Order: sequence, then C-alpha cells, then structure tokens
Amino acid sequence: MKKLLALLLCVTMAAFTLTGCGASEDAAATSEGGERTTFTVGFDAEFPPYGYMDDNGEYVGFDLSLAQEVCNRNGWELVKQPINWDTKDMELSSGAIDCIWNGFTINGREDAYTWSVPYVDNSQVFVVAADAGIASQADLAGKTVAVQADSSALAALNSEENTALTESFAALNQFAEYNTAFMDLEAGAVDAVAMDIGVANYQMESREAGKFVILDDYLSTEQYGVGFLLGNEALRDQVQSTLYEMVEDGTFAKIAEEWGLSDVVCLTADAE
Amino acid sequence: MNLLEINHMKKSFGDLEVIRDFSLSVKEGEVVSIIGPSGSGKSTILRCATLLEQMDDGELIYMGEHAAKSVNGKSVYMSKNVLKKIRSYFGLVFQNFNLFPHYNVLKNIMDAPVTVCKVPKEEAKERALKLLDQLGLAEKGKAYPYQLSGGQQQRVSIARALALQPKILFFDEPTSALDPELTGEVLKVIKELAAQKMTMIIVTHEMQFARELSDRIIFMENGVVVQEGTPDEVFHSDNERIREFIGKIEAVY
Amino acid sequence: MDIMTMLKQLAEGMIVTGQIFFLTLLFSLPLGLIIAFGRMAKNGLIRTISKIYISIMRGTPLMLQLIVVYFAPYYVFGVRFGAGYRMVAVILGFVLNYAAYFAEIYRAGIQAIPVGQHEAAQVLGFSKAQTFFRIILPQVIKRILPPVTNEVITLVKDTSLAFVLTVAEMFTLAKQIAAAQTTVIPLMVAGLFYYIFNLLVAFVMELIEKKLGYYR
Repeated sequence: MKKLLALLLCVTMAAFTLTGCGASEDAAATSEGGERTTFTVGFDAEFPPYGYMDDNGEYVGFDLSLAQEVCNRNGWELVKQPINWDTKDMELSSGAIDCIWNGFTINGREDAYTWSVPYVDNSQVFVVAADAGIASQADLAGKTVAVQADSSALAALNSEENTALTESFAALNQFAEYNTAFMDLEAGAVDAVAMDIGVANYQMESREAGKFVILDDYLSTEQYGVGFLLGNEALRDQVQSTLYEMVEDGTFAKIAEEWGLSDVVCLTADAE
Repeated sequence: MNLLEINHMKKSFGDLEVIRDFSLSVKEGEVVSIIGPSGSGKSTILRCATLLEQMDDGELIYMGEHAAKSVNGKSVYMSKNVLKKIRSYFGLVFQNFNLFPHYNVLKNIMDAPVTVCKVPKEEAKERALKLLDQLGLAEKGKAYPYQLSGGQQQRVSIARALALQPKILFFDEPTSALDPELTGEVLKVIKELAAQKMTMIIVTHEMQFARELSDRIIFMENGVVVQEGTPDEVFHSDNERIREFIGKIEAVY
Repeated sequence: MDIMTMLKQLAEGMIVTGQIFFLTLLFSLPLGLIIAFGRMAKNGLIRTISKIYISIMRGTPLMLQLIVVYFAPYYVFGVRFGAGYRMVAVILGFVLNYAAYFAEIYRAGIQAIPVGQHEAAQVLGFSKAQTFFRIILPQVIKRILPPVTNEVITLVKDTSLAFVLTVAEMFTLAKQIAAAQTTVIPLMVAGLFYYIFNLLVAFVMELIEKKLGYYR
C-alpha cells in the first residue's frame, strides 16, 4: 500500500513537471519595481495569417510579429497565449491575457474594449465557388451561407442594414473554424462563406487557383485594432506610441510586407 | 460456567415480533439443536447471538463476559473492542457457505487467522492443512470455491470457522442449500466435531440428525419456545403441534 | 508541410493528451470511491450532497465544467493564477467529472456483492476496513470492469475537450495545424491516434479481465 502511494506520488510529480504546471507565468507580471516585464497577447491560433502555428510548431503571424517588435522596444517578454475565441472576454477580464491582438474587429465592439488606433482596414466579403454562378449579393437569395461563430462577419450579417440580405438566405450556418467552412464550400454543402478579406485571400491562395472567388460587393468595411481591457489606457497608450514609432522608422510597413498584408494596413504617421 | 448465556432476548422487525422472550444457557461440550417451522425465529436467534443483528432487549453473555446488558428494557451493547474479543469466542457456518470466491480454499481458511489474529503465516498454513485433512479435503487446498461441490464448499466453510479455534460453533441450517446426496458428508463432519466435544448450536431441519446428535433440542414457533428437552422428550412430546411438525418433516426427508 | 513535420507537431500534443488521460484516471478512480461512500453514507446530509454532486457533474456538459473550473477562481474569489493553471484546470475538471461517473459504477458494484460476504467477514473478526479492502473491493473490481472500460474509452476521446482552455493537447494542435495548412490531414491523423489509443486501452482492459477470470 505504501509502495503504491509512493508510486502514485512519483507519477503525479513527473507529469506535472512535464506540463510545466509549476511555472507561474502571470499575465500581469511585473518586476519588483512595478515595471512590466511580460506582455501576454491572447490570440486565436486558428486565424492565419494573423496568428497561427507554423511548420516548426511555433505560433507566428502578422499580429504576433507586431507584438514581438513592440515587446522588443519596451524590454518586455512576449507571451503568446492561444485562446478559445468564445471565452476571450473572460480571459481578458480575469487577467490571463493583457490584450486581444488577432485581427480583432473594432466595429460593433467600440465600447466593449479600450482600443488602439486601427492598423488594418479589413472588409467582410463573401467567398463563393467560381463555377456556382453567383455574381452578387442578390444571387445569394435562397442559398446557404456559412459564417464563423461570434465573428465580425456574423455581426455584420446580423446588423440592421443587412437584415434583408440575411433573410434572403435559405440558411445561415455557423461553423467553428475556416477550414471546415471551406471544406463545406468545396463539397457544395454551403454556397458561400462570409469572412474577413485577409483571411479569404490567404485561404484562397493556399487552395487550387481559380476555384473560389470573392464577390465584388463587400458585406461591410471594417477595421482591426488591438483590444485592451476597458479602462486600461496606460498600457494601450504605451503599445500605441510604440506602434507609431514603428510606422515612422518603416518597421511597420516591413512587417506588413513580410506577411503580404501591405494592401490592407492603414496605420500611417499622419494618424498621430 | 456457561459458555453462552442468552437471557430474555426480544427482537422485532418493524411491527413483527420475531423473538418474544428467549433464554438459553449452553455448557462446554453441549450440542443444542433448534428446530421449528419457517419463520419461527430460529435463524434470528443465531444472528443475534453472533452479533449480526442487535436484539431489542435481553442479555448476551459469552464466557461470563457481557456482550450486551439489558438496561431499562433495552439492550445496551459493549464497546467495539469488547465485541471484537467476544467475536473470537464463536464461529458461524452459514446456510449459503459465504466463502470468499476470489481466495482459494487455503487462503479462505488462513486469511482470518493471519489478518485478524496475527497468527504467523506458516503456522496458519499448517493449521489449515491439518483441518483440510481432517475434513477430507486434503487435495483441495489450491482449488477455488466455484470448482467445489456444495458439500465440499460447506466443509471448507466449517474449516474456516474452526481455524479461528472458537469455543462455540453455530450452524445456520448447514445442509439446506445442498442436494440431498451431499448432506451426508456435511452431517458426518458435524458428528465428528460432536465426538470431539465441540460445543455447538445447530439450527436444522434434519430431524433424525438432531435427534442422534443433540444433548438438547429446542422447538420454537412464532418467536417462543414451545418445548425444550432431551431428544427423547421432544420427539415423544404430547404437544400436538410438535408431533405434527416432526411427522411432516420426516415424511419429506 | 511534410507529413513527418506534422506528426512531430502532433506528437507533442499526444504527450499532453496522455498526461490528461493518466492524471484523470489516477485521481478520479480513488475520488470516485470516496464519493461512492458518500452516496451510500448513513448520514443523510452527506448522502444528499453526494447525490447532488453526481447529478450536477453528470447533468451538465463537461466543456462547461472546464470553463467554470478555469474561470471560477477569478470571477468568484478574485484569485488570479498563472498560465500553468490552464492544465491544472483541465485535470481538475476532468477528475471532478469522471469521479462522478466512477462513483455510480462503484456504488452499483458494491451493492451487487451479496450481503453474506460482509457477514462472513464480520463473524470472522475482520474490521470494516479489512472487510472492504480484502473481501469486497477485489470482487467489486472484477464486476465493474466492463462499465469502467466504457468510461475509460470515453475519456480518451473526451481529452479533446481540453481545447476550450486551449491546452495544447493533440486535438487542439490538430485543429491549429489544419487551419494553418488548410488541410484535413491533421484531423484524420488525430482520429487515427484516438482509435489506436483506444485499441490499446481495450487490449489492456481485456488483459486485466482475463487476469481476474481465475474465479467466478
């Protein structure tokens, strides 16, 4: 019996050591002098090219590169924390993360977070199969449209100005991540997917060319910002002024180019 | 000194009075049989005497030591430690054997002496082998209960009780669960124990056996003793009910 | 991305999946026994509490329980834990949930043991603890093996629910790789992994069953 207990103890300790449960990485970590030492970014790891896992198992993306540069300039350690999009608000207000930085749409959420200035202008669009004979939003009447749960595209579809459009659909299906939505589209299970244009371009590039098209009339035009906990202006200001520094010395544009997002970034020195 | 003394035992289950007023004294070496129709309370007496049930009122005394006293018309039981010691004075053989299915025969017999009485393993094993030999089961030490016949299982359960060297042994209808051709081997073992002057209290339906073996027979009905006496006295009783019962039973067996 | 790179990435997730699986069993099997005792306690209060506990744990989604375990410390008590708490919360959530299921399995098993076994042990002088651990529990284990096997197999698949707290177990990683590479292969590989894991579980449980088959 004693031997068994000792064994259980060993197994448990080994397991916890492996998972690193002993290490405490508090999002709000500060050094003794009250100085910030780490900066924890919450992001959806299934949202390329803004945040995702690369071939080496590292979390990378446009937003994470920006965050890394901000951290480098402030002497912070960047902690990349993947989050479940459905519980992002709980993660933020419980202090598990310092901000949500992940192609995070401002429109419709203006009052829910303390926002940085917009740095990406992103539109919500419809992607359809090229051979489906759908050329405009009017053609979507009676069709099945897919949209990510709790996404900007869904918010746009549910907004008042789009009521008529949304009601013309045969069905509006919510899915968990884009990959399955494109599989559905490919299989003909849905006729169109509503999503961010940046994501749409990425998805289409990595698939067979000419198979999918983006409808010319956009569902909405939207902007991305970094979302901080409501009232956390101090941290927002610091991150934002660093972003302006990066715009002025050209680092911001360079990073955008690296990620192929030069067309959509909208942060310029004039905005300051 | 009496090995066992039961004074004015009373027991009810809900509204049903199972034992109304039962007293019994047993001396060393005595064999007492309790007979009577089903529901007469015989088994309940055994269960109360072996502490499987608590009586409502009455005294229970083993070797002059109280297991329970009667205070203001209610039985008051002694502390856990006292009862633990008193349990070592008696053994019980169940109608359904209740052997431990996951232990082999040897372990069934050895486990209690080793675990409860801290008898050294070697000694317990020696004692168990001797008992098995005595009961004609020398070959069966490694067998598991499911591999044995009912009669063999019951003999193992007798060996299990004897391994703790009790002063007094209770049998609760030891042959009722057996096919008729298997009862003989169990009765033979009990007879041998009687010859060795083992003190025993036996609840049974085997009239002929009770008559041959017992120093005393108690006939019970509806929770009371109808007659108590030597086998001859009971088997030649004037009591109509007893004659009728014995006649019926003997016709069946 | 070539398949080897993908497998290498998934392998890290498999380790975490394995940890969730083994730690959950390690703690929920004994905890379930304690809850089973509570469920059969003479004390009415303990019995009722155990009953309510089991009813809630079995009656609400495990995914919701994981979210509650992770966020409750802050929202209810204002306590903030470090990033390591994610994994702890997952283990805690799984243990609390599975213990409830195991408790009911234990209870059924314990109650199915004939009362004569208790009585025989009592008359032989065994203490309550000795009776339970030497006589009753070994027989209970033999009886409950089939339902426990069911639960363990379900647990293998349930580990994927840890994705709600974005613990990097295999399914979370498989979804992330699938998203980054826009392919379903990682999900298929994950499915294959769960299947093989469960084949192994079934094999081990069968071995144990055989081992306990020496008596009836």
